[in-house]
Amino acid sequence: MEELDLYREVTRIRALELLIHHHIEEHGFDGFWHPGLGQEGLQAGAVSALREDDYLFYAHRGLGYALAKGMSPVTLLADLFGKAAGSVGGKGGGTVHFVDPERGVLGQGGTVGSSFVLGAGVGISSQLLGDDRVTAIFFGDGTAARGTFHEAALTASVWKLPLVWICENNGWAISVPIAEQSPTADIAERAAAYGVPGVVVDGQDPVAVREATAEAVARARAGEGPTLIEAKTLRIRGHFEGDKQAYREDVVDGLEVPRDPLAILRETVPAEQADRLDAEARAEARAALDEVLAMPGPDPKVVTEGVWI
Amino acid sequence: MSSAAPAPTELGYGRALNAALAEEMERDERVWMLGQDVGRMGGVFGVTRGLHERFGAARVRDTTLNETFIVGAAVGAALSGTIPVAELQFADFALIAGDEVFHKMAKWRYMHGARLSVPMVLRLPSGVLGGVGAEHSQSLEVLGMHFPGLKVALPATPADAKGLLKTAIRDPNPVLFFEHKGLYRSKGPVSDDPELLVPFGEAAMRREGADLTLVATGLMVGRALAVAETLAADGIGVEVIDPRTLVPLDMETIVASVEKTGRALVVHEAVRTAGAGAEIAARIGESCFFSLEAPVWRLGALDTSIPQSAELEQLVIPSAAEIEAAARELVAL
Repeated sequence: MEELDLYREVTRIRALELLIHHHIEEHGFDGFWHPGLGQEGLQAGAVSALREDDYLFYAHRGLGYALAKGMSPVTLLADLFGKAAGSVGGKGGGTVHFVDPERGVLGQGGTVGSSFVLGAGVGISSQLLGDDRVTAIFFGDGTAARGTFHEAALTASVWKLPLVWICENNGWAISVPIAEQSPTADIAERAAAYGVPGVVVDGQDPVAVREATAEAVARARAGEGPTLIEAKTLRIRGHFEGDKQAYREDVVDGLEVPRDPLAILRETVPAEQADRLDAEARAEARAALDEVLAMPGPDPKVVTEGVWI
Repeated sequence: MSSAAPAPTELGYGRALNAALAEEMERDERVWMLGQDVGRMGGVFGVTRGLHERFGAARVRDTTLNETFIVGAAVGAALSGTIPVAELQFADFALIAGDEVFHKMAKWRYMHGARLSVPMVLRLPSGVLGGVGAEHSQSLEVLGMHFPGLKVALPATPADAKGLLKTAIRDPNPVLFFEHKGLYRSKGPVSDDPELLVPFGEAAMRREGADLTLVATGLMVGRALAVAETLAADGIGVEVIDPRTLVPLDMETIVASVEKTGRALVVHEAVRTAGAGAEIAARIGESCFFSLEAPVWRLGALDTSIPQSAELEQLVIPSAAEIEAAARELVAL
């Protein structure tokens, strides 16, 4: 049952989110953590429409993208805490960086919006190699402002590159609301300028996001070019954990998620099974965190390794 | 060179680059190109002429006027199994794509735990051309030395243009390849052996001499050799070394020379302040202190922008006369 698989992914992501939240609240954190609470459903929904060998450029809200793509929570938490056993071995670029070439997870830029042009290049490789792979690029409504989107979209559309752009519109570009950032209510409208489909979808409904993504992926794989999907979602926490959001009037400083994707999915899953998956997810997250916290940091000798081949 | 190698033929620097591109695209079908006007037009300086017809529009791609796309897409393609050779029309435009060049190209491998590589070449027409002004004339190669992860090549002869570009394409690291615009039409012997590569990190000893080590790059190599010829007539032996690549930098050859001559002059077209010459001079100072008979001197462009007037332009960069005067003074110290 597909909904059951999707529920499993969303509850696994949620369990990690909440555990990281409580851990940081209790112990603090060196670095940036950008919570993805409330956005897990769209991340899991979109990724579930990809093939295992499809490429992924994730955004910086949480670990959901990569967990849904098949990376292990131990690896991801090890990256979050800068451990040697993380996929980038403590060398990431300022927010959580992780990579998994075998699963097509190609990383992200420390400067958001760089994935637009890099992702287009991956699409060119797929065209040249005829490897039938699609590249999914996640980004936020704030990042949608980058000129790199225009530069990539313009040529990707003309060259019909196999790309899917997934905008997580949570309504806030750090402290500035979307109404002050966009002349139109929907970012998806911008697709019209590039002659590609622009699709608005309810980001709290994982099944709806999966369906929209599956259609875009099929179009990309058929050589018909990119699609821009805008998933309307919510930002529950601050831009980073510790951001008090004094600029925001609608904020509730808690962990409640209105229109919770987990609750929406739960309606399609037998309660007993959902309870079991919730418990498994919590146990998996706890065990992963315990394992990672006991891990050593990187060996000092690696600091200059990996600069050149 | 083995006796079986074909005899070198006389070729222009631009044609030598074209031959390198054609040979590497022929050898490895993962190699492809993108840039503004590199296709039908063959590049604003004609370097890619004929390649669009020969290899097709999928492998020789004309882009829009978008430097961040040109460099960023090349990085993405390099991450995913192909080997892009990107051309920017002028090296100066690398600054438009600063994030892509100095962050993505240079750092993607490191910040992803060396799990990925970025095998690509960014071709950058560089230097003064006579009348093209402040934003189309700069020599920016030192920037590549300041962002670990990049390699930097700057050929001064047609043979090196071909051999270094072939090495750059085969190198698994990202390479900034500075071609001097003023040298595109210069001619010299170039081998048509498709396996004759010029290795990175091996300086070329252009001329031997006992009295002064003259380290020169790009356009300045020719001026340095002319000065060495003039001084030889007066019994002054000038050893001319062309590093050819700044990353990696062959300090061994430079240090061995300075230990012999006891004097060093470093000359480049780039701005003298904080240029590559400052780094080379500092390293000579660190390594050769007890062999030096005089301070290490540098010549480079004045602390000014490049003016449009071709006459004023030449006042900004080191002339043969200035190099000669500095060399004579340094030898007399």
